[in-house]
Amino acid sequence: MILDLHSHSIASDDGRAKVENYCQWIARRAIPLDGFVLTEHRQYDFQSDYRALEDRFGLLILKASEVETEYGHVLVFGVNEDLRAAFDFARVDNRLADVLLHARRCGAVAVPCHPGRPKVGLCAHWETRGPVAGVEIVETLNGGSREGENELALRYADAQGWRRIGGSDSHIVSHIGRCATRFEGSFQGIDGLVAALASGRFDACRVASPDPLA
Amino acid sequence: MNAADLKARFTGSVFDEINLDVDAASLADFALACGETDPRYTDPSHPDFQAVPNYPTRIHGTRQLPKDFPVEMQRCFDAGKSVVVHAPVRAGEKITGKSEIADIYEKTGRSGGMLFIVHRMNFYGRGNVHLATVDWRLVQREFNP
Repeated sequence: MILDLHSHSIASDDGRAKVENYCQWIARRAIPLDGFVLTEHRQYDFQSDYRALEDRFGLLILKASEVETEYGHVLVFGVNEDLRAAFDFARVDNRLADVLLHARRCGAVAVPCHPGRPKVGLCAHWETRGPVAGVEIVETLNGGSREGENELALRYADAQGWRRIGGSDSHIVSHIGRCATRFEGSFQGIDGLVAALASGRFDACRVASPDPLA
Repeated sequence: MNAADLKARFTGSVFDEINLDVDAASLADFALACGETDPRYTDPSHPDFQAVPNYPTRIHGTRQLPKDFPVEMQRCFDAGKSVVVHAPVRAGEKITGKSEIADIYEKTGRSGGMLFIVHRMNFYGRGNVHLATVDWRLVQREFNP
């Protein structure tokens, strides 16, 4: 099962893609994704219901968050009311240690994303601020990375023994599926994703589109 | 002052108001400049002649920000505009535009901290008909309160 674990819709202030348009693009370009996760910036969207789109396009569409910490940005999968109340998703100065701790306590999974990116990635801060306990998974393939950033993330992941995910970090329709995560077996729903991430049986992957124009 | 303090102090009130008359030539010229070809937007003789939806984005008030707003303009750039159309703007309309700060928030990116200021202009026509809402985002880089 292949999911793009990092994407943004118009619910994010800098997102330009409607969720339906992501689905249409995946279908039209025959991108071999089984679904994608909407990781909106500094918020969690409790309201939106994408079940009709899931049925129409045969895709799994899940919701998560991308929050900001002093060590950079962090994807949080499995957001629930308890976790939403544990810290302020809108703040840009959350403590990574708190996000990791609260996520674990609330049954969620926190994953530092684009760790090789300057200022908002884990690696640079790891050197200057020191290690943080509780990091187990990082995003080593990010579709918005510049040259060298994913490679830096991968070196850290290998050195620290962190598991790896991938996501496109798409903000526009045509970027969905640039990077993704391949899971052993399949699952349904956000609880299934959280369990799959806890199992450790996954890896970051690039998604090849059969459409040469994609 | 951090983003939360700025938001508490400066949002929620109209700080500027303008009035202007809309003529057919300005509607047609703007539509053509945008590359529009539909005569509904480019031909004043069309029975349903009206402004292209993004027309209100060309209208600016007399102030970008409220008086005493502590922004470092040398670090700012335009972060884009969005428009929500509520009713068509037509030739001959007398428009009132009211400016307010709708939101102020921080985010972090490759270049560090950023402050986003959402300048909202609501446009009204005759009879106080709500025509459009334009959100213009201004971003200040290197924001480190």
